[in-house]
Amino acid sequence: MWSYDKRLQYPVKIKNPNAALAKLIITQYGGPDGEIGASLRYLSQRYSMPYEEVKAILNDIGTEELAHFEMVGAIVHQLTKNLTMEEIKNQGFSDYFVDHTIGVYPVAASGVPFSAAALASKGDAITDIHEDMAAEQKARTTYDNILRFADDPDVRDPIKFLRQREVVHYQRFGEALRIITDNLDSRNFYAFNPEFDNRKR
Amino acid sequence: MNERERLLRRIAEVGFAMFELHLFLDTHPYDRAALQMFDSYQREEEALRLEFNSKYGPLNTMDVSQSNMWQWVKDPWPWDYSFEEGL
Repeated sequence: MWSYDKRLQYPVKIKNPNAALAKLIITQYGGPDGEIGASLRYLSQRYSMPYEEVKAILNDIGTEELAHFEMVGAIVHQLTKNLTMEEIKNQGFSDYFVDHTIGVYPVAASGVPFSAAALASKGDAITDIHEDMAAEQKARTTYDNILRFADDPDVRDPIKFLRQREVVHYQRFGEALRIITDNLDSRNFYAFNPEFDNRKR
Repeated sequence: MNERERLLRRIAEVGFAMFELHLFLDTHPYDRAALQMFDSYQREEEALRLEFNSKYGPLNTMDVSQSNMWQWVKDPWPWDYSFEEGL
């Protein structure tokens, strides 16, 4: 169950519309390494995770990702809400516009709609935490790539905040991996899958 | 920056510090220094939240209370450009 705060985790206040930039940033809304994929990944993996600290970190980072999903949506919305038809045509936004007008829809920068195929829930603690550490780095790379295109400080500021969160999450998942291996056979971490072979009935 | 915006920024700052400590405590649940720091931020956050609720309406779903009007629906919403100014 969740409880909603009627505020963003970090402020988003963008004055100038920019359709071309919105089309790139929307990839963190619905793209392969985007925030909704991150949230679904962690919130789905937590059910079979056997260790309490790791359940907590999956639950709580999965929750923070929803706040990031909202921030990216706010960035895209503020970059597109005041576009003129001229700007829509000249800034390469016509193809998105014809399907969604200025509604916010989860797609990758390439235009491919959000797909759960970009995330995994493998039911194995070591495997899932490695997926999560990789996911944080992939999102960090994507934010670094977005920063190559963004000149507007109003956009760069919240994007840099989101980028930094990926680094912190990577650190916490690294600690979670250590907690997992501390619970496994130190001579062979792969001797059994703690999410399946050690179930108590 | 008006009064509402200042208060909201302070809530975001304190709330962020709390959340960052919360994640740290997930993987370090016995760290006394972090627990103490979390506790002091939490007390500050509670006071700020009460101040916001009384001046500008409910911040959280759970803060909604009976009054002469259902303030929860009121603009601005967080994704509106004018959210922080409360315009």
